[in-house]
Formats: sequence, structure tokens, C-alpha cells
Amino acid sequence: MTRTLKEIVEALKLAVSTRGDLLSSRTVTGGYAGDMLSDVLAHARKGQVWVTLQTHTNIVAVASSKELCGIIVVNGRTPEAATLQKAEQEHIPILVSPLSSYDVVARLCELGVTNREGV
Amino acid sequence: MKLREIIETLQATIVVNSHDQEMAVELACGSDLMSDVLSRLKPDALLLTGLITPQSVYTAEMADVRVVCYVRGKKPEAETVRLAEERGLVLLSTTLPMYESCGRLYRKGLKGVSET
Amino acid sequence: MKDSNVNGTLQIARTQEMIYELRVQQAMTKQVITVEPENTMADVSRVLGENRHSGMPVMKGEEMVGIVSVEDLVRSFREGNSSQPVKQWMSKNVTTLYADEPLVHAVQKFERHGYGRFPVIDRKTKRLVGILTKVDIIRCLLQHLEIDFQDLEIRRYIPREWFSELDCDRATLSLRYHIDGANFEKAGEVSSKLKRNLQTLGLAPDVVRRIAIASFEAELNLVIFTEGGELAARVEPGRVTVTVVDNGPGIPDVELAMQPGYSTAPDWVRELGFGAGMGLPNIKNCTNELKLESKVGEGTKLQFTVFT
Repeated sequence: MTRTLKEIVEALKLAVSTRGDLLSSRTVTGGYAGDMLSDVLAHARKGQVWVTLQTHTNIVAVASSKELCGIIVVNGRTPEAATLQKAEQEHIPILVSPLSSYDVVARLCELGVTNREGV
Repeated sequence: MKLREIIETLQATIVVNSHDQEMAVELACGSDLMSDVLSRLKPDALLLTGLITPQSVYTAEMADVRVVCYVRGKKPEAETVRLAEERGLVLLSTTLPMYESCGRLYRKGLKGVSET
Repeated sequence: MKDSNVNGTLQIARTQEMIYELRVQQAMTKQVITVEPENTMADVSRVLGENRHSGMPVMKGEEMVGIVSVEDLVRSFREGNSSQPVKQWMSKNVTTLYADEPLVHAVQKFERHGYGRFPVIDRKTKRLVGILTKVDIIRCLLQHLEIDFQDLEIRRYIPREWFSELDCDRATLSLRYHIDGANFEKAGEVSSKLKRNLQTLGLAPDVVRRIAIASFEAELNLVIFTEGGELAARVEPGRVTVTVVDNGPGIPDVELAMQPGYSTAPDWVRELGFGAGMGLPNIKNCTNELKLESKVGEGTKLQFTVFT
């Protein structure tokens, strides 16, 4: 099932750290979870929403180069100011959840956002 | 959830087996950052991670966690395996990515650390 | 002697618990020696003698059709002859156990029927998967008791008692460890040793866990950022104090370093699963007291205390 980022923000009650006007136009094709940038660079796919607890500026570069639709920062961590600034420039929405990665992924799966390798 | 059900759900292979497969696991946590694991993980939870260094075993040991599952087909280093055997941990490996592993376990009823 | 009584009771209670927890499949012998219905009683005599068994299942292909024991053998020698086939002397009504039944069911069946052994079958496939004797049960219980006993051994030393028996005003135990800087391969080894030593001393699991986590974070900081240093744990009545000292480079802004998420770790450290700015806040959360002193160019001294 295809969802927009806006629907996900509402369903998971995510805090929106960047400008909100991009959310309804962003289609989420799937999800990826990981905290190692090399892993995400190698395996995430275009259009996926990325679940991570990393907050430093490099996450924006990774999301941008992989054309991910957005980043959900977990555990209620606050993205660094430099990260948010870069995210605005690169048009990468950053959202925050107080839940752990496991719980955020669980809820995304309930919404039908999946990650099936090779599909 | 029983260890046996976790193995079935993730179609995991057993790398180090020091416990009965009927052992109960109450919670799960998925993370590649060990400080995060140390600050959140509760005893007897399952740790899902992509980190295969000896520090994954040390982290489990410090936090009283007995089961570690490596995701996306990662196989732990020889030293990691040796440390896990010495400490009586269970090491599993699944070809599923982190995202899919969390989703499947949740659907089978395994709760995450945020819910307690 | 009072102590041994307590342990005796504990052990018996534990054995009772175990026969409910353990399953038949954990105790059974998986290599089952069998005979066919057309074999002779002389064959049975030879196979039982060679394997020192007192009975075995009779199998027709994959199907279990009976069980033959020493008693059947004696009867056949007395009333017939040894060249007669097994099927003539075997017991056809075989009482079996399921592999996934708790061991307590097996114990009850042994008492009720007085048989020496039970074939074990899989609940779904009904195929023979093992055989269970009383000796198997005893062996299994002993193995598990030994594992439990090792856990008990670890918990037996209670430092509070230990300290109170020492004839002095105040007893302190000091444990010192050297930490190599930049040796990531070994990062965690010192905290692992410390944790096991504290367990041996009989400190409460929660206390040990908090000290171990805080020490592990401190050890990693030394490995990642310094040339190495020393970790010393002081165990005394009521508290454990850990002091971690290094020789530089020092922290320019201690207050900033304590903030969750603040990190100066290079990318390679982040890729190894650390350096996300959670180390010092983690240490703070795990401990009752925390003191951090640092001078750039000289070094850092971190001291934390956990009340026991």
C-alpha cells in the first residue's frame, strides 16, 4: 500500500522538525532501518523512509544521495541544528518519534509500509 | 516469545547456541549503535543488530542480554563467536534486513522496548 | 550444618521444578537400537547383551509394532526356543511418550506402569524419535543441576558478610585494570572482567549491570579518544566507586560533552556502533554520583559511584 509521508506523520504522531509543506507530496515506497551510514548507503532504495537514531549532518547527505523520501529519527533524539539546516537545503523532511526503532518499524508495517528485498 | 519461534520467524541460522530453544524472550530492540542499546535494553531482551564486532557481544554481556541476532545476512567475526561461546550467549543470523526483521517479530507478538 | 540444610532443600525444590520445565526430548537417547519382527530371539539376546540394554522397540520399516525386553527373552528361553521370531514374544501394546511432554509425565508413567523404558514418538508424525529410561532422566537432571549449581556458586560469596568478618574498622577492595588506547578489537574486555569479578563478589545483579554499563562506556571513551589509561574499582560496604583516568588529550568543554547527542567522534567510530554522543549521559543515568574533571593537554579523570 502506498502512503504519503503526511499520512505517516499523522498515524505515528511524529514531530516534524523541518518545513512541513513537502510531506503530502512525498510518496513512501517502503522503509529502511539502520544506524550505520555505510549500510544505508549500500542497501536503502529510492523512495523509502529511513528509520534511524543518528542525528548528525551526514544523514542528510546519505538520504539525499539515495533519494530517500524522509528520515524518522527515533528515541526522541534532537537532530543537530546543522543537520536541520542541511535538510532544508536538500529538501529532506526530518521527523522525530519518541519510540525506539523497533516500535517505529512495527507501526510502519501495520500501515503497510514494508521492505521486501527484490520486490 | 520462545527462542524457537524467533528462529522460525526470522528464518535464522544458529551461530552459537548456549540455551534451550524453549527459552523465553520478552522484548526486542533493533539498533546498530551500542550506546543506544546500553541505555534502553532491558535484561532478557533480543538484540537485533548489524554490528558484528566483539563489541556486540560485550554490549549484550553488560546489559544482561542473552540473544543477539545479526541482520541482513551478516556473519559475526571469529573473535565475536569465541566471546559469545565463552559467555553462554545465543547468536543468530538472518538474511532479512533490520526493517523486515522488526516487522515480522512484531506481527508475531514480540513487543519493543518502548512499550514497557 | 544449617547452611547445607538450606542448600539441600533448595536443590530438591529445584529438581522438582526441573522435571516440569524439562521436556522428554531433552533427556531421551536419540540413537535407538531396534530389531525387526522377523529377527529371532537369539538375535535379541545378542543385541541386548552387546549394548547392555534391557529392552528395545520392534520396527517393521518405519512403524513400531512392539517392544521386546529381557523378561520376554527369559520367557522365550523357558517356554519356547531361541530360533523363534521376535513377533511371537514381543509386547504389542506399547506405551509411548511424546517428545514434547514435560519430564514429569515420564516420571509418573514409570511409577504407574513399572516398565524399564518408553519409546518416544513425535506428536505430529507419530514416528519413533528416541527412547527414555530412568537412567536418562537422572543423567539429564544431574547435568542441569550442575549448570544451576555453577550459577549458585557465583552468588554464594556475599561481600557484606565477607567484609563484616574482616577484623578492621573499614574494609575496601580495589580492582585495577589497564586500558589500551586505540585498540578497538579489545574494547570491552576490561568491563567484562570487572563485571564478572563483581558477580563473584555477590553484588546484586542490577547493581552489577549498572556498573558494567557505565564502565563499558568509559572504557570505550578511552579507546576512542585517548592513548589509554587506567580503570580502578573500589568496592566497600554500601558502594562501588569507579575511577577512570587518562593522559589526554582532555575535554575542552565538559558541560557540552555531557549533553546527549553531542559528539566529536570521527565517522569510523560511528560506523563501529559508537560515538553517537550517548556515552557520558548513559554513565550519568546508570550511576548515583558522577564527577568529571578534565584539562586540555593533561587528561581526564572520571569518577562515578553506584550505591549497593
